[in-house]
Amino acid sequence: MEKNFIFAGFGGQGVLLAGTILANSFMLQGKNVTWYPCYGAEMRGGTVNCEIVVSDTEVSSVHKQDTDFALVLNQQSFDKFVKRVKAGGTIIANSTLVTESKPRTDIKYIFAPMGDIANSLGSAKVTNMVSLGVLADTCDLVSKEYLAKAVELVLGEKKKQFLPLNLKALEAGCGALV
Amino acid sequence: MISDKKVLIKGNYAIAQAAINAGCQCYFGYPITPQTEIGEYLSAKMPELGRGYVCAESELGAINMVVGASATGVKAMTSSSSCAIALMQEALSYAYSDELPAVVVNVMRAGPGLGYVYPAQGDYNQAVYGGGNGDYKIIVLAPSTVQECIDYTYRAFYLAQKYRNPVMLLADGLLGQMMEPACFGEYPYPEVDVSSWALKGAKGRDGKAIYSCARDEQEHIRKIERLFAKFELIAENETSYEEDLTKDADIVLTAFGSMTRNIKAATRALREKGIKAGWFRPITLSPFPTKRIYELAKEGKDFVVVEMNMGQMFKDVKYAINGEAHVDLINRPCGEWLSVEEIVSSVEKIMGGKYANCI
Repeated sequence: MEKNFIFAGFGGQGVLLAGTILANSFMLQGKNVTWYPCYGAEMRGGTVNCEIVVSDTEVSSVHKQDTDFALVLNQQSFDKFVKRVKAGGTIIANSTLVTESKPRTDIKYIFAPMGDIANSLGSAKVTNMVSLGVLADTCDLVSKEYLAKAVELVLGEKKKQFLPLNLKALEAGCGALV
Repeated sequence: MISDKKVLIKGNYAIAQAAINAGCQCYFGYPITPQTEIGEYLSAKMPELGRGYVCAESELGAINMVVGASATGVKAMTSSSSCAIALMQEALSYAYSDELPAVVVNVMRAGPGLGYVYPAQGDYNQAVYGGGNGDYKIIVLAPSTVQECIDYTYRAFYLAQKYRNPVMLLADGLLGQMMEPACFGEYPYPEVDVSSWALKGAKGRDGKAIYSCARDEQEHIRKIERLFAKFELIAENETSYEEDLTKDADIVLTAFGSMTRNIKAATRALREKGIKAGWFRPITLSPFPTKRIYELAKEGKDFVVVEMNMGQMFKDVKYAINGEAHVDLINRPCGEWLSVEEIVSSVEKIMGGKYANCI
């Protein structure tokens, strides 16, 4: 079984970091995983994305045309990636910045005000962590516990002071759909 | 970072750290996407370790610094990408002729010319046949995973010193930019004694020299023959490849580098459809596993080469098969890697066509 995820948003929203944390959580679960960023002439304020593939066997294509899950934090990313979700797949969007619309009928839509939740915790910077929480709630493959472990691993000793806020944001994301 | 623990790491950083673990004393480079992280990582780590890091004025400068450092017997490396590796070809011919253990990493992007920064596999010919002058051969290793980026970087340093021959690690932008769990372990090879040839100062002994210029015709001929005999020994000892499901296969999918991942998955998918497919991937592109491909072809297996160029390894496979079997090409010059689905449907078409002709 192989599934892939695309994380996309504005440069600066932390989608590459969120993708790195998800990939680490899969690694900690002992799964095969790859993470691949869009690269080239990307810049702050432009859109940025990364792709995570998780598999029981060695990951085949690292970079695929379509995706099982798209996690989008801004409108441009929604417009771009809603087309690339597989039939039966899911798009998860930050409704703080994305207008709630359903241009296709063959995919599942999850809207959550991730930016507002992050702001209520004190920082828009943790929107990405809130989004990971929403993803964990939506997708059985993703484990909240392993995400928390991955946040700790990725922040490391150097950025330990940010751990409590990030974990709080992850937790808040997990509860956002209730 | 010498540890048995798995870490999620980018291919570029993995190559850089593996070079450190392998004992690389000098790195010379010039930034170019998609391999800039190698130099970035080493610019911080090498000075901390008291080793040499120079951001050269150009790729020409970088490779010639590697030539100079290698002549002293230390492990030295440069890394770059396609169009800038092209600039280094003259020095690679010199390094071969001088028998220097230079290690060169090519994280391929799309060409020809300046091309673009996205991944491609268009430098197979440049790596295997070279753009430098004269009869020369370098060893070329092609990793397909981040773990292999580490393992083959270790092997590159060892083979370079063991045989006094330049070695190229031929990766691509996909491998350089992606992250995957990998384990560094320890550098698994013994240290090679270089004291008989390394130029470290002649105090207390007679002088030695390393030069590529021939002093007379006979000496030149003897040298070329000796170097080619050495490469035959390399071919005998070091040619490596991987294969699976080839035993009962009707068709063998062949690829190098990161495309290997896709042909493995395509083989599984074809088997599920009842098509007897197998896969084969050369690990050393030079020396090439010509003999093994010929054996498989003799057993009546057809080949399909899958690569992201206009058919470069295809020619080597065709040469190896030597008319004993069919060989087809599934390719794209650059851009999106050929997907598993595309490979499966192309193979089905190829096989359908073949059977149609038989009837």
